[in-house]
Amino acid sequence: MHRHKEQQGRTGRGAARYGRWRLLTLLLAFLVILVNPLLNYHLGINWLQGWYQSLGVGHLWFVSPLEGLESLLVTRSIAMASFIGMLIPLLLAFLLGRVFCSWICPISFFAELLDHGHRLVYRNKRRQDLLVPARRLLWFVLVGELLLSMILGAPVFVVLSPPGLVGREIMMAVFFHRLPLEGLILLPVLGMELVCRRLFCRCLCPLGGLLALVGSRRRLVVAMEPERCVQCFRCDRNCPLGLRPSRGETLTSYCWNCGACIDACGPAALAFRWQHNGNPSRDNQPPVFSTTML
Amino acid sequence: MLAAACGGAVFAAPAYARPAFLESPVTRNRLRPPGAVSEDLFAGRCIRCGRCVEVCPYRAIDMLDIRAGLFAGTPLLAVEKIPCYLCMKCVLVCPTGTLSPVSQEQTRMGLAVINRFSCLAWSGKTLCRTCYDKCPFKNRAIYLDQLQPVIRADACTGCGLCTHACPVTDPHGDKAVNIEPIYSRVGATG
Repeated sequence: MHRHKEQQGRTGRGAARYGRWRLLTLLLAFLVILVNPLLNYHLGINWLQGWYQSLGVGHLWFVSPLEGLESLLVTRSIAMASFIGMLIPLLLAFLLGRVFCSWICPISFFAELLDHGHRLVYRNKRRQDLLVPARRLLWFVLVGELLLSMILGAPVFVVLSPPGLVGREIMMAVFFHRLPLEGLILLPVLGMELVCRRLFCRCLCPLGGLLALVGSRRRLVVAMEPERCVQCFRCDRNCPLGLRPSRGETLTSYCWNCGACIDACGPAALAFRWQHNGNPSRDNQPPVFSTTML
Repeated sequence: MLAAACGGAVFAAPAYARPAFLESPVTRNRLRPPGAVSEDLFAGRCIRCGRCVEVCPYRAIDMLDIRAGLFAGTPLLAVEKIPCYLCMKCVLVCPTGTLSPVSQEQTRMGLAVINRFSCLAWSGKTLCRTCYDKCPFKNRAIYLDQLQPVIRADACTGCGLCTHACPVTDPHGDKAVNIEPIYSRVGATG
């Protein structure tokens, strides 16, 4: 009965289909780091180098902000190339929030594939989050990781970042025909998906923490029109981060603007909105201490 | 330097007694690419993006894995296997300045040191002058003194072409001419 009602709602939902676009973007982003070592190794084309720790597209260089920050904190010096390379990702996070995480990151790509696989195997059976740690853990992980790097005098996330490791494993496989052992870290990171969707992304990824912090006053937010909401709470069940868009939690720092709730919303009460005041936090409080995140 | 200082502070030990996962992989014939910052700063500054590895046309730059501890993901050359031909492509793609542009002459990846006991010319076995012939700075970095090769430290770039070409390999895997890193593992440069 309940399921029948859901399907009825699905036919009436809005035209938004961010899920497909997101999967396509994730696939393209993954293809970049898959094809790039092959081009470099087999064809000697050096136009594209690196992966999501630093990506060089011709003379346009990107540097992951957390990696740049760690390098800065540990050595107390910064290279101009690194500084400029960090600007575009930081600007992206400042305006759009954690979109790197939901639309580009290879870990997100694998996690979405797992979700799709799960949906194929179990039909419409909904995933249960068995263990949901406090979201605030994200900030502690970010600060703890930076402190640990400074204590050790060597950057920790740079060595073992899961998104970076995907690129490193692919490159090492192509160039040296071996898979370094640290790639095993990817197994528990993706294995956590069984316990809780995006457990690593939700509260254990320091890069996600930094991007969330930078994007806490982002311009692009998922906003709800309360008049159109029919209280079906399908958005709450579909949020991969376990947020509750029905209660306005998409306005907190934690939302990564993936658009899954918009896709799920039957009456199109949720939509991306460009905010001009750049202050998505409803009650105008700093995001870290906002009540909605507790 | 910071690594040494912090290592010392945390583990309450002098800098040279760092735990294994903080120990630099730079040793004899295991060198950083050209234009590298001091080894004390290298692991902190390098963001392990692998771009230098990808652009090296000779596949000379290898990437360390987790067995190197916190140095995992940093670039390292094994010059007796593949030396550095000083093409300087890697220094141009480093986004962090860990490798910075440097001329071929001013590159100092290490210093070639001849083992006069195993060297064929010095031990009087043959008139071998392979290292001299292969040196890109012939008569400047290596010259022949009475048909025996001699390294001139102020011109040697440490590229490892001589090590790669040397026909002698001793039981430890060393050649008769080896590149010694300029960085000292006992923290003398810290």
